[in-house]
Amino acid sequence: MKYIATIGDKSFEIEILSNGEIILNGEQLTADFQSVADQPIYSLLLDGQSYEASIHPTDSGIQVLLRGQLIDVRVEDERQRRLRESSGGQVIQSGDIHLKAPMPGLVVTIPVEEGQDVASGDNLIILESMKMQNELKAPRAGVISRLRVKTGDNVEQNQVLLILS
Amino acid sequence: MFNKVLIANRGEIAVRIIRACRELGMETAAVYSEADRSALHVRQADEAYLLGPAPSRDSYLRGDVIIDIAKRCGAGAIHPGYGFLAERDDFAQSVEEAGLVFIGPRPSAIAAMGDKGVARTTVTNAGVAVVPGTEGEGSLTDEELLQIAPKIGFPLLIKATAGGGGKGMREVQSIDQMPGLLQAARREAESAFGDGNVYLEKLILNARHIEFQILADSHGNVIHLGERECSLQRRHQKLLEEAPSPFMNEELRVKMGEVACTAARSVEYLNAGTIEFLVDRDQNFYFLEMNTRLQVEHPITEMVTGIDIVKEQIRIARGRKLRYTQDDLSINGWALECRVNAEDPYNNFLPSTGVLSSVIAPSGPGVRVDTGVYAGFEISPYYDSLISKLICWGETRGEVILRMRRALEEYRILGVKTNIPFHQTIMDSHRFIAGSFDTRFVEERFSMEDNDAEEKEDLPMIAAVLATLVSHRESQLSSQIIQRGDRDTSNWKWVSRWERMHR
Repeated sequence: MKYIATIGDKSFEIEILSNGEIILNGEQLTADFQSVADQPIYSLLLDGQSYEASIHPTDSGIQVLLRGQLIDVRVEDERQRRLRESSGGQVIQSGDIHLKAPMPGLVVTIPVEEGQDVASGDNLIILESMKMQNELKAPRAGVISRLRVKTGDNVEQNQVLLILS
Repeated sequence: MFNKVLIANRGEIAVRIIRACRELGMETAAVYSEADRSALHVRQADEAYLLGPAPSRDSYLRGDVIIDIAKRCGAGAIHPGYGFLAERDDFAQSVEEAGLVFIGPRPSAIAAMGDKGVARTTVTNAGVAVVPGTEGEGSLTDEELLQIAPKIGFPLLIKATAGGGGKGMREVQSIDQMPGLLQAARREAESAFGDGNVYLEKLILNARHIEFQILADSHGNVIHLGERECSLQRRHQKLLEEAPSPFMNEELRVKMGEVACTAARSVEYLNAGTIEFLVDRDQNFYFLEMNTRLQVEHPITEMVTGIDIVKEQIRIARGRKLRYTQDDLSINGWALECRVNAEDPYNNFLPSTGVLSSVIAPSGPGVRVDTGVYAGFEISPYYDSLISKLICWGETRGEVILRMRRALEEYRILGVKTNIPFHQTIMDSHRFIAGSFDTRFVEERFSMEDNDAEEKEDLPMIAAVLATLVSHRESQLSSQIIQRGDRDTSNWKWVSRWERMHR
């Protein structure tokens, strides 16, 4: 299988062969790739060079934490790339966003109201957890269509706090 | 004299105190909340007693329950650690009234240093300089502040009395700007904290936060163990400390050390404490506050002086004389401490909770790890986010930075996000290596995207390979999984119900 991995404005062509070897920029390399202890952490031996990274899929691609650097990678096979190129690569930002609590905590302040217009980066909710006050910000501009919590509420992790549309 | 110590704390500091007690041949009693039944301090202590539910106010802040337990289990002394009850003079008082020994200063010293206004007056009377300003003088009107301002001198800061995090803070360059900025600061403070009171403070340019460790015994001896550099902070939270400070020279150390001892004597200080100073680029230094307890970052002083501060605390509490005079002390080598927190440095340092699925701590020459967690332990939202303190020692500052880099790379913590990448970026930062940073460095001139490391050029390529291998593996897996679901209804229907449920 042939893949194109893109990081910022750089892209790499990587072909994975069925025998576990890979072709990277035209060079054939042996790749021994294993996950460690059933964790999202992976060990790669690439022609004898040892690398370890923690890897998480996100909405926009794959996040690789390697030697203290967080790198966002978009991986496509040839079919996906053709599809994206023919659709003009439009990214449409629409639909409701359900702001969820990233951790359990206490709602300290809600500086917004239902129906209010907010800009990207505005504070929506201040959540106290681990003795710290954490500002949850708007991921994009929009209208607060519903508030699901009120000041003083204790919330669980991943609980929906408000809906931004 | 006491032979059993009750430790009124949790986490790494409770474990640290247990270790000191063990080495002195003392018995230990731990206390714990319902969330901490399987915490390391409970497992390691000789005895352990339940305090109550997880929230601090129902457990680790219940001084009355703690004193009761101490009396019941026959502990003769209570060590408060840091945080929780450590700087509460009423608790220290109750411990003494219960006939127990409080391992720390006298209640009067805690009270004097705990109140900013009293502390400033006390040390000023003893001839110690404080940051010029009106903090602790109560709420003043705009007219009064405008009158005082020229005496403090410009530039100065307007700060919110109830403040924190820079809210309600304004920098003032001249008197003409001041009325307008006062209004703005009061408005912002009012909306952020519901309290519009402000005070003035001289703005110290390129300020460094340097603190001195003090030991004082009950025979009137006071010594200092040198300084710690704590300028690397974020929102007034220290992240990384070092001893000695790259900014310090012997002459300044002697001068500041003497002042620190004077400040401690002014409140008849007993046991271990820390005097915090702000130091400007011209080496003028000002008293900031005194922490009347053991500090989180005490290990770096232990590494460069060879003195076990917690054991000294216990000896002092037993009424013994200090074993050292100021002349016995010298600074050997260099030490760094990185606070490893359950926080995501890539997402605004948001705390991260969860079960630690795997922990592999670094070891080897010159590396010390103080921690209270282990694989399988849950980082809960009830307490602070400190997972461990990684402390390294080296002969020189250069060696300790290289050693810390090595140790950070060895550290594997899975299950929660940690700020280890932040520390790695700092260790690679040219400004940190050159020692040219101040208290505003992390917030204003540092970003996780700055990367001064040179040999990392092929990392993006390796990351690309790793990401490709992962997505290849996933697409292989999913092509095997796609088949009719086991559910009796269509998957589309099920997904739509599930989504609606989560609205």
